[in-house]
Amino acid sequence: MAVAAPARSGAPSHWLLVAIPAAVLLVFFVVPNVLLLSASFLKSEAQQLTTTPTLDNYQFLFTRRLYLEVFLRTFMVGLAVGVLDILLGFPLAYFLVRTRSRFKGLLIALSLAPLLASVVVRTYGWYIILNRFGVANDLLLNLGIIEDRIGFMPSTGAIVIGLAHALLPYAVLSIMGSLNGINPNLESAAMSLGANRTRTFFSVVLPLCLPGVAGGFLLVFSIAISAYATPAILGGPATQVAATAIYNFIAVILDWSLGAALAVVLIVSSLLLLYGAARLGANRAAL
Amino acid sequence: MSFRRWRANRAPWALLRAFVIFIYVFSLGPILITAAVSFNQGTRSYFPPRGFSFRWWERAMAPEWLDPLWFSLKLGSLTALISTALALPLAFALYRYRFRGREALVALTLGPLMLPTLVTGVGLLQLFQIVGLRDYIGFAALLVGHVVICMPFAVRTVTISLSTLPPNVELAAASLGATRLATLRHVVFPLIKTGLIAGAVFAFIHSFTDVNLSIFLARPGEIPITVKILGFLEFGFAPTLAAVAVITLLLPLVLVAIVERVSGLGDFIYGDRNRA
Amino acid sequence: MPEPALRLAGIEKHYGATVAVAGIDLEVQDGEFVTLLGPSGCGKTTTLGLIAGFFPPTAGEIYLRGKPVADLPSFKRDIGVVFQDYALFPHMTAAENVAFGLRMRRVAPGETAQRVKDALDLVKLGGLGDRRPLQMSGGQRQRVALARALVINPAVLLLDEPLSNLDLKLREEMRVEIVSIQRRLGITTIFVTHDQGEALVMSDRIAVMNAGRIEQVGDPAAIYETPATRFVAEFIGRMNLFNGAVTPARGVRLASGVEVALPVPDDVATGTAVHVAIRPERARLTPGTPGDGLALMGKVRRILYLGAAREIHLELADGERGVVEVRNDGSGLGFAEGSEVWLSAPLANCRVLPVR
Repeated sequence: MAVAAPARSGAPSHWLLVAIPAAVLLVFFVVPNVLLLSASFLKSEAQQLTTTPTLDNYQFLFTRRLYLEVFLRTFMVGLAVGVLDILLGFPLAYFLVRTRSRFKGLLIALSLAPLLASVVVRTYGWYIILNRFGVANDLLLNLGIIEDRIGFMPSTGAIVIGLAHALLPYAVLSIMGSLNGINPNLESAAMSLGANRTRTFFSVVLPLCLPGVAGGFLLVFSIAISAYATPAILGGPATQVAATAIYNFIAVILDWSLGAALAVVLIVSSLLLLYGAARLGANRAAL
Repeated sequence: MSFRRWRANRAPWALLRAFVIFIYVFSLGPILITAAVSFNQGTRSYFPPRGFSFRWWERAMAPEWLDPLWFSLKLGSLTALISTALALPLAFALYRYRFRGREALVALTLGPLMLPTLVTGVGLLQLFQIVGLRDYIGFAALLVGHVVICMPFAVRTVTISLSTLPPNVELAAASLGATRLATLRHVVFPLIKTGLIAGAVFAFIHSFTDVNLSIFLARPGEIPITVKILGFLEFGFAPTLAAVAVITLLLPLVLVAIVERVSGLGDFIYGDRNRA
Repeated sequence: MPEPALRLAGIEKHYGATVAVAGIDLEVQDGEFVTLLGPSGCGKTTTLGLIAGFFPPTAGEIYLRGKPVADLPSFKRDIGVVFQDYALFPHMTAAENVAFGLRMRRVAPGETAQRVKDALDLVKLGGLGDRRPLQMSGGQRQRVALARALVINPAVLLLDEPLSNLDLKLREEMRVEIVSIQRRLGITTIFVTHDQGEALVMSDRIAVMNAGRIEQVGDPAAIYETPATRFVAEFIGRMNLFNGAVTPARGVRLASGVEVALPVPDDVATGTAVHVAIRPERARLTPGTPGDGLALMGKVRRILYLGAAREIHLELADGERGVVEVRNDGSGLGFAEGSEVWLSAPLANCRVLPVR
């Protein structure tokens, strides 16, 4: 980060500037998370938090089959969504970066426009399509491809589709960012030296945008594992993921300890993934 | 141009273009289908829609839906205002000065972006309960939570626009006789105006579309529209929801279109990962 | 008659309604150094791109060693390209960059290593093979780009303004080096530039381009001494152009009334407006009327001191402007601003050019 003027020595003016915002963040962001962390180590009885320290909560989560399944499902969903979004996002990002159409700005806006709709709204669209009496079933029936309606949802697959759809713009943004930094002449240079399009892609383009691609993957992964609305709408009690389980603990069963513990697991996973993403994003090559 | 020539040179791009069209269909399809369904005559989700009716749109205008919508608008606007107001000095200090604890402050500022908003919601709920502020769960708690998760967006955009200030512009102003305050008012502020506006817009949209944090901090009568829609889905389908969904998409869309025309948002979309 | 190394036949390139290349015919012999010279937007870089195969021509055919290649994509053509911004692969070392083309041609690793070393030595970068482009200066990157294009022994070497990003001293140094390497290897070379000094110094032949067409092709002396059109005359060096018309006696009558007995091509009708062209350094300034030849009276408006020469700007009797360059041999000029002088030149130094 550039510093436009040297720090004026003896001037705590910067503290004045940051005092209120920092205080807001400290009180309403750091403290709640600390509370969560401590609650995860406390026992819960009769829906009330006690002050008895314990590791039972984590033990419970990591030994009960139900919750191990939840972890596995959450992880697999994140992985699948990440891979899907990279596979779909890369061609789109490449096209948007290299196209010379006069609609380029419009096309980019169009690819990011879904972000303006709440994830609830976007998932709702898939609800309309995938439910038993929805568009997909109607279409397949009318075309004679199936005889009975298929229960596309609730299911993990439906969650994956819904999330992949919702998070695609993030992957596109990330990949576009690193593709933009690649000199277009590099591809011409490689081709002039005898590399056909495939070899040019794997020898030149991919290595140079790999940080952006990997960063995008990790970003999508980390958002997917903490998604609530989409799994809630397109999934059901049999297809719980971490976020829905947390909601269940906190708002339904009122078991704060377990809810907090699960939340902490989610925090740690997200931090690890995002740290990886930031490292990759920050190491973009530029020439 | 001969076909052979076209095939050797242009075909790969044409293939890419075809695939890209498919991706756009995938991306925009569900939204368009939702919009189409909202005009359905019957109570089912026919697509292509059968009959044409505004009745679901009329139902969407009922207080049952307009109240949460209005609530979200109020919440979003206030969030945007406060977030931007807090972000401005913060971004300024982080960008301009080197001081001990700066790195920690940067981490603190970016923190809400790094952690799932769900978790922040749970934590805040716990905080409010423990401290005995149960009564403030609802608008107050939501406002606090939204400001926390939206502030980073404003900090980011203000930082970007600060970085576009030509290096010697403030020195030039001083050499022409401007005091520090006058420089800020006449030189710095106009130049970072677009960053402030972009920050406010992104904060508003993030607040308006949030659901993960809001589900924990809402209470009957003080429900954002997203939470309301989510709750309604438990009861199954109704085309009214489709109409409401379209409205909640159109509002941010119109806002972005207007601001883009008037002030320009393009520069801020990438948000810069190499900074802050 | 051996096949020319490169032949362009009726090459055109249209982008929608815009015409970038309007029709080019050119033959380049084996081992020739031909420069495409022209202002920005004249189509020279587009032409280079067409030869390289980065995009297909809208019409026309390209023959590399007799083989038609316009339908072939870039990677199937036997060419080497040096880009204006070098386009080195940032994630590879210099040696890996140079080896890339050989890798694509499946050359054995041992031979590759040897050829890469030879290529780097050729461009005087021996020993720097392990550096990455990021760690190199502009001049060094340029040499790596050159080595990379040369090591594959292409039928034609294409250079797109490779020197424009270098500072003056380096540019002059590289001009000489590039030509000497080219002569040594005997590689057919197409060089694109807008710098006429570069073109004159380096080329065997120059093709002057304007608005998507070639206006004239010839060796540097021919282009400079006998430009065929007004554009070429003014683009290379400086040129005085005096208005006149063809007389019935097949001479030229200047606007000032003076008549000169310059040969006029037979296909130009009497009365046609033409220019009489004379280079500033081929004209003289005298205080009184000289003998025969071209003689125009005028007043000195400005004298510019250029170090090795002086440039004298004149306003002539009929309102036209004239420029004369006088070598600075240490003696004075003999006149000053405001003086009345005569611009004169032997007819042999003058040419008749069409007005276009």
